[in-house]
Amino acid sequence: MKSLILLSGLGVLTLLSEIFNFKRKIFPVVLLGLLGTIVLSAMYWNTNKHYFNDMMFFDNYAVAFTCLISFIAFAWFLLSQNYFNEETNLTDHFALILFALVGAVIMVSYQNMSMLFLGIETLSLSLYVLAGSRKNDLHSNEAALKYFLMGAFATGFLLFGIALIYGVTGSFNLQTIANYITLNSGNIPALFYTGVLLMMVGMAFKISAAPFHFWAPDVYQGSPLVITAFMATIVKTAAFAAFFRLFFTCFSTIESVWGNIIFVMAILTLAVGNITATYQESVKRMLAYSSIAHAGYMLLAILAMNKFSAGSILFYTAAYSVASITAFTVLSIIINKSNNEAIDAFNGLGKRNPFLAFAMTVAMLSLAGIPPMAGFFGKYYLFNAALQSGQTTIVLVAVLASLVGVYYYFKAIIAMYFKSGSDSSPVEVSFIHKLLLVLTLVLIFAMGLMSDFVIRLL
Amino acid sequence: MQSNLYDYLPILLMFIVAGGFVGGTMFVTHKLGPQIKSKIKLDTFECGIESQGNARIPFSIKYFLVAILFVLFDVEVIFMYPWAVNFKELGLFGFIEMLTFMGFLLLGFFYILKKGALKWE
Amino acid sequence: MMIKYIFYFLAFVSVFSALMVVVSKNPVHCVLYLIMCFFSIAGHYVLLNAQFLAAVHVIVYAGAIMVLFLFVIMLLNLNTQSEPHKSTWLKFAAAITSGLLLVILVGTLKGSETMVMPVGNPNAGLIKNLGNTLFKDFLLPFEVSSILFLVAMVGAVMLGKKEIK
Repeated sequence: MKSLILLSGLGVLTLLSEIFNFKRKIFPVVLLGLLGTIVLSAMYWNTNKHYFNDMMFFDNYAVAFTCLISFIAFAWFLLSQNYFNEETNLTDHFALILFALVGAVIMVSYQNMSMLFLGIETLSLSLYVLAGSRKNDLHSNEAALKYFLMGAFATGFLLFGIALIYGVTGSFNLQTIANYITLNSGNIPALFYTGVLLMMVGMAFKISAAPFHFWAPDVYQGSPLVITAFMATIVKTAAFAAFFRLFFTCFSTIESVWGNIIFVMAILTLAVGNITATYQESVKRMLAYSSIAHAGYMLLAILAMNKFSAGSILFYTAAYSVASITAFTVLSIIINKSNNEAIDAFNGLGKRNPFLAFAMTVAMLSLAGIPPMAGFFGKYYLFNAALQSGQTTIVLVAVLASLVGVYYYFKAIIAMYFKSGSDSSPVEVSFIHKLLLVLTLVLIFAMGLMSDFVIRLL
Repeated sequence: MQSNLYDYLPILLMFIVAGGFVGGTMFVTHKLGPQIKSKIKLDTFECGIESQGNARIPFSIKYFLVAILFVLFDVEVIFMYPWAVNFKELGLFGFIEMLTFMGFLLLGFFYILKKGALKWE
Repeated sequence: MMIKYIFYFLAFVSVFSALMVVVSKNPVHCVLYLIMCFFSIAGHYVLLNAQFLAAVHVIVYAGAIMVLFLFVIMLLNLNTQSEPHKSTWLKFAAAITSGLLLVILVGTLKGSETMVMPVGNPNAGLIKNLGNTLFKDFLLPFEVSSILFLVAMVGAVMLGKKEIK
């Protein structure tokens, strides 16, 4: 809870910095504040505190995800550092991002559906604006409008679901609803199940699982690159953590209702994400489809719904986010250099800047799930959790899908090392970006080596 | 405090009076006034200008910005009614709650002023 | 008995006006029907003994938000009545999906005619009780909603303000 207050305070501080003209000093303050958030929330490990009439519940799951989100946000601020040097609306961006983080933290620690709704809205509302923050770019406008219309529609479904569930159980509290299910098993009215399904539709939209993924590629491509990086990492993590928390605390006992639907959804998401990603020319769009595909893998944890799920989802989102941040950092440097986001822009990067090429290779290998990297262990634990619950079919599909995934991730690697581009001038990397890349690379390997430790956390 | 349907009678009366006044005056003016319709009468007056084009032209976003900010503060004020009714009961704690809420929005207001969003240029 | 007839009347008005919002060709007519819809929903609130919500609904939705709707229509410049042509397949798919949703909703609502709803306080909608719930049980959502307002303000300024070069 203190971490939440600190984050809101940081957002307020950025607004104050605009009013009282100390904009230039705000960047280090925000970075320090994010580190403070990590420490503050980590202090509540194993305390399991309830707050404000059970609105929030900081169990270990919430604490771990709060730390993860704050850390990714820290890395994200380093990644976007030179983007804000160019932007005139510095404080707007900072405040919106920080308030979006507040929403994200609420989404991983809610215990009451009204908080879930508010968290999702705070996060989404900031993103709608940020997606359209390049006002003169038509693609950015399109992205914002699409995201807003689709997002508002999905929120409508979510609210309708919440309303129906409230109508049956008379409560927004997750624990009360879970108790209601166990007390009344056998004669729960159909209205309740419809509510569950409507909520599922709303959440599936937020994690961009097929067939609710149509907005994702356009929005990811149209938004400014740093915002895309934010959506692909933090938003994905928070949305998935919220989805899992809802189903694990509330609806885990009625898996017969939603199990098959999630099963079909996972297969569709894996197929659509991976297969469509193979014929993308733009790296940004490819990463968008890859993020859809990763949502498909993560759905396995919900299908598994056992004691391994929470740990594996934490590990997977962490591995995926760190690798994505690395990939987006390299991509942003390349786009800055050549103003071209097609895969050709990577041609000959192995010679132009070996370090960047190495970082991109590691990120791609981790996303593809090649052994020593974190991504492999993420997939391993996810598949293991699903197998423990006897979900063999879906694991087979997921393994096949990740083989397809290897193909398109290697396209970038091949371009960097085996193709030569027209431009062969070396690419410079700023000090902060170098620092960030080293940090993420170390993390990708370290998480791979110490995967046992991370997975035991939850 | 279960309210009775008859409690709404004044409101209903008010609606009837409001609607009746509009309808009544429109009806009466059409009946009472002399009805002469000619080309010259419907024309623009000699000192006026010919109306041009259509009224539906896109207008500046500034109006919209002001309107949207108005809605935000409008909703904010609505939160104060239930608070005011319970003011004594909620005591100091409720006061601090409202102060936090208003603090956030006041900050937003100063931010808007500083950004010059309300300046008309 | 009287209440029952009022309910049916209001229900008819709200469903009819909601349908007219969808089928009207002229966007300004849509907005006017929407106002009618909002008023009838406010009537439903009164029937549920939630006068404060009814008043808020009229002030905020029928008052402020409808003005915004009209502004948007003005901004969009809908003089030319050219709606983009939608392909038949798209219409077909939309009809099927929304029809399925309708069937599910009607089915579940019909099935729950005999359902025993948890009985709450019948006066929960009165302003005093509402305030008590809002400022005691739902304190945190109330404060978080101020952050939501702040986001909306900053966002509106960011998108609506011309950039000073």
